[in-house]
Amino acid sequence: MSAEADFLRIQESVGPWVSGSRIAENRLDIDTTAERLLPAVTAFNKLSWGYLSAITGLDSGIAAPSDGHIEVLYHFCKGPSVATFRVKVPRGDPSVPSIGGPVPSAVLFERELAETMGVRVAGLPDGKRQFLSDDWPENVYPLRKDFTLESAAPTQEDAPAVGSGEAPGTFIIPIGPQHPALKEPGHFELTVDGENVTHASIRLGYVHRGIEKAAEDRLWVHNIYLMERICGICSHIHATAYVLGVESLAGVQVPPRAQAVRTIFCEMERIHSHLLWLGVAAHEAGFDTLFMYSWRDRETIMDLLEGLSGNRVNYSVNLLGGVKYDIDGKAADSVRRGLDFLERRTKNYLRIVTTDESFLRRTRGVGAITFDQASLLGTVGPTARASGVSRDLRAEAPYLAYREFPVRPVLDTRCDLEARFVVRINELFECYRLVREMLDRMPAGELAAPAPRKVPEGEVISRVEAPRGELFYYIRSSGGVKPDRVKVRTPSLCNWAAVLSVVVGHKLADVPMILVGIDPCFSCNDRSITLRRRGSARRAKGADSRRAGSADSLESWSWEDLRAYGISYYARGGT
Amino acid sequence: MAQSTLKGIPGTLRRALNGAALWSRINSPWLVHFNSGSCNGCDIEILATLAPRYDLERFGVKLQGSPRHADVLICTGPVTRLARERLLRTYEQMPVPKFVIAVGSCSITGGAFHGCYNIVGDIGDVIPVDVYVPGCPPRPEAIIDGVVQLLTKLRGAAAAKTPAANASPGGAS
Repeated sequence: MSAEADFLRIQESVGPWVSGSRIAENRLDIDTTAERLLPAVTAFNKLSWGYLSAITGLDSGIAAPSDGHIEVLYHFCKGPSVATFRVKVPRGDPSVPSIGGPVPSAVLFERELAETMGVRVAGLPDGKRQFLSDDWPENVYPLRKDFTLESAAPTQEDAPAVGSGEAPGTFIIPIGPQHPALKEPGHFELTVDGENVTHASIRLGYVHRGIEKAAEDRLWVHNIYLMERICGICSHIHATAYVLGVESLAGVQVPPRAQAVRTIFCEMERIHSHLLWLGVAAHEAGFDTLFMYSWRDRETIMDLLEGLSGNRVNYSVNLLGGVKYDIDGKAADSVRRGLDFLERRTKNYLRIVTTDESFLRRTRGVGAITFDQASLLGTVGPTARASGVSRDLRAEAPYLAYREFPVRPVLDTRCDLEARFVVRINELFECYRLVREMLDRMPAGELAAPAPRKVPEGEVISRVEAPRGELFYYIRSSGGVKPDRVKVRTPSLCNWAAVLSVVVGHKLADVPMILVGIDPCFSCNDRSITLRRRGSARRAKGADSRRAGSADSLESWSWEDLRAYGISYYARGGT
Repeated sequence: MAQSTLKGIPGTLRRALNGAALWSRINSPWLVHFNSGSCNGCDIEILATLAPRYDLERFGVKLQGSPRHADVLICTGPVTRLARERLLRTYEQMPVPKFVIAVGSCSITGGAFHGCYNIVGDIGDVIPVDVYVPGCPPRPEAIIDGVVQLLTKLRGAAAAKTPAANASPGGAS
């Protein structure tokens, strides 16, 4: 069914609850009100069309204090099509109902909305603050237009509530934020019964930097550098998603050769990211030999990236309107040689992860996310594809050079950790094929087209396939030299819900493997979110008093007492 | 080895033991890694430094999971409001003498994130830093150089027969 027909069907089903709707190319915008949102989304959900990709909040600002409003956008995506429910609420008392009933994956996005934009979400299961720090003042929302840094000065109070609501006899294992199994800070709390996990929760926000706000304060071109630094692993794809959006707003036509160069970098970045993941995942399984081999081989692709761009990590390839670097015949040859070597090595890795008996015991049948779970909870990327859900924007909604060089999505229906290994490794072969084909048939021409300094008023949604899954950018311009709003929804965020529900019932020892199975990227998703927070005070006390090995009076120590004890213990020389 | 554990031991033996401790610290420093708000770029380069191509382990360096077993804290990123407490706590859990290497532009000035609402500052604002390694991100060779500079500094301290206590914040490099 065509996108147009789909949109007409949606319009028909939600008709009674909307006040207007517009169809544009691949976009359907539906205006509704806070009261009618829930019935409209419920009716829409019955169509089983697409999945919730992001929720964006827009602040109209303080220009008109009397009639100022906050607009909440619910973006549902299917292939190239995006259906957006738009709700306007008064700035003085913004409140929307939670759509977590019909759409369970919405809860994450709603928390983010409540905390950063200050929109009250009625019916959100846990109304507590989730990702800003514990000393963040009440009623200060960083993404509001009238936010000032001074208003966010730390408040004094805030040792979080201690051990409330725990059933007696439960034992909680804290993991992170500083933990050997985590290369980045995140905090997990696993409630265990013996070896079995009975509940899992997560507290993110340790790497939350406030990039969305910072973007509003920088010029369009400065933001390329900022976006590239959202994540060091998938830096190029962030910058690409951003420039694609801005170019479409500004009506800039990017020359075909520049598109091909961008795409080659996208695929080479995917190669480095998947090899990196393979090593880290093998390390979590205790298979350090594979870790060291895959990281050794990864240096091949790092050398190629450095040869092409001059940088190993932040390649800084993109300009507004094109790219900075060309790939000439000599460089192309060295890339081909590198890929030949990597292809041989990758075949070896595929053999190892599918035949090594001890490794298979850690992956086969472990951490299965069923097809239904994966589609319902809105998982994306290789995690979804390993559960048989075909979500790959490169194939569904081709952008850049993927139109001329079609991608064959790699699927697996086994749903377990082994499938996630096999899918990512098979994707590597697809990357090698794509890069070779693009190098062989590079379009000739310019590397960049001129881009204006000011971008015309308007909004755009830019979606690309990052190594970890669908990356979603919403960019809005008010016609100036800086963006009015840049909203980033990263793939890791979509995958947490599925992984936390899957962990329950597994052995504690399997948890790091399952967590790493989605290739979580904290710096990406912490730019703005978290799920559930429990008091760090109780955790500290529990963990450290056990470690100190003394049973009696320690139980009533405060975190401060313990820390003082720890410091003096080591100052005394461990006596 | 802390001075107090050697109380009651005759002077010659105590000096010998201290010398042995310093010798082993210089020849095999154990690292603990903490990311207090980095974009990951520096972290993957630190890991790459430990991987076979750059092989930091040839200096006796070992990446260690627990701060309680570590001599050197190698940290990346600006410091976010939430991570500040954790960075301090990780530092305080390390036994003395302890050293800090700050990797990346963000850890020196806040870098691209300077002025963001959730950033409290750079690493040096929170804990004393011995060696800074600039770059966005620094190449593995630069990270190796940072570690070697720290070891050279310790060796210098050993040669001068001064106790290898914490160097002043914002020292070398």
